[in-house]
Amino acid sequence: MPDQDNGDVRIFNVETSFQKLARRPGGVPRDSAVEKARAKVDELKPGFDDWLGKQINALVGIIDKAKDGNPASDWIDIANQRSRQLRDVGTTMDFELLTFIADSLCDIFDAVEAGSELSMESIACHVDALVLIQQKPYRGLKPEQVPELTSGLRRVSEQVSTSPG
Amino acid sequence: MATPTINLRDQVVLVADSSSYLSMIIHGMLRGFGTNKVLEVRNSMDVLQALSAQKIDILLCDARLPPHGGLKLTHAIRRKIDNENRMMPILLMSSDTRERSVKQARDAGANMVIAKPISPTSLYDRLAWIALTPRQFVDAPTYFGPDRRFKIEGYPGGVGRRKGDNITAVAAESGPAMAQDDIDNLFSAARSGKD
Repeated sequence: MPDQDNGDVRIFNVETSFQKLARRPGGVPRDSAVEKARAKVDELKPGFDDWLGKQINALVGIIDKAKDGNPASDWIDIANQRSRQLRDVGTTMDFELLTFIADSLCDIFDAVEAGSELSMESIACHVDALVLIQQKPYRGLKPEQVPELTSGLRRVSEQVSTSPG
Repeated sequence: MATPTINLRDQVVLVADSSSYLSMIIHGMLRGFGTNKVLEVRNSMDVLQALSAQKIDILLCDARLPPHGGLKLTHAIRRKIDNENRMMPILLMSSDTRERSVKQARDAGANMVIAKPISPTSLYDRLAWIALTPRQFVDAPTYFGPDRRFKIEGYPGGVGRRKGDNITAVAAESGPAMAQDDIDNLFSAARSGKD
C-alpha cells in the first residue's frame, strides 16, 4: 500500500521489529505454542491455592476493619484492586466462579467509587462467597452450576449499582 | 490450511501490570510461545523508563495500569515524537470490555485489546494477528497510531476465524461487556463508515 499525504493527515506503511522478527522461520506453531503455554500455566496451579488464600484473607481483613468502623482512608480502592486481581486470574486458573464473584464485587466497588451508596452487607456477602468457593465442594464449579448463588450476588450488585449516593 | 506460526524468540516483550501474579501467568504463557526475553513492570513510570533504556518489540499493558491507566500511557507513547518505540505494537489487557472502553483503547492508539481473564489461545491469536496482519500508521493532528480502519479477515492462516468477521454492527454505546470476538470486530467497524 502506498503512503498517502492528505494535508494534515499522513498515512504510511510500517513494519515493526516485532513483525519482522515474528516472521522468521523457526517459530513455535500455534497448536504447539498453546499447548506449551497451558503446560506453563499448569505448573503454576499448585501454588494458586496459597496465593488465593492470602488474597482473600487480605480482602477479609480490609472489609472487617471497615465493618468495625476503622478502615483505611483508601480501603475501597485497595479492596477493589484486590478484587480485580482475583477476577483477572480466576478463569485462567480454572476458577470461573472466582472470576464471576470477584467481577460482581468489582461492580459494587466501582459503583461506590462513582457515587452509589455504600452497602457493607452487599460487600460482605460477596466476600463470604469468595471464602466459600475455596472449599472443596465448590472448587472447579462454573457459575451456571450454582445459579442461586450467582443470581443472588448479581441482584445485590445491581441494587448497589443503581442506588443513589 | 496451515496454522499461523510466529517466532517470538529474542523478541523483547514488556508486560506491564500491577499484579505480580497475573504478570507471572502471562510470562509463563509467553515462555510457552517461545519467548525468552520478557520484562515485567508494575506502573507507567517503569514502562517509560524501560522504553528509554532499550528497544522493546511489543508492550502488553493493563488498561488500568497505575497511576493513570494504560490508555493514557498508550496515548503518551504514540504522541512522543522522539520516542523510538513510538510505533511499537501495544496490546491492551482489559477486563472492562464495554464498547465505549474498547473504542477508547483503540482511539488511544492500541493495536488490539485482549479481554481478561486471558487464555493461551486468545493471547497467541492476538499476537499472531498483530505480527502477521500489515497495518498502516496514521499521523493526524488528533491521532497517531495504527490505522483504525482495520479490516479483520480472520486470523492468519484461517485459524480462529470467527463467524462474525466483517460484520460491523456494534452494541449500544454504554452497553454490556463484549466478548473477545465483538472486541475484535470493533477494530474493524470504521472501515464501513459505521464508526
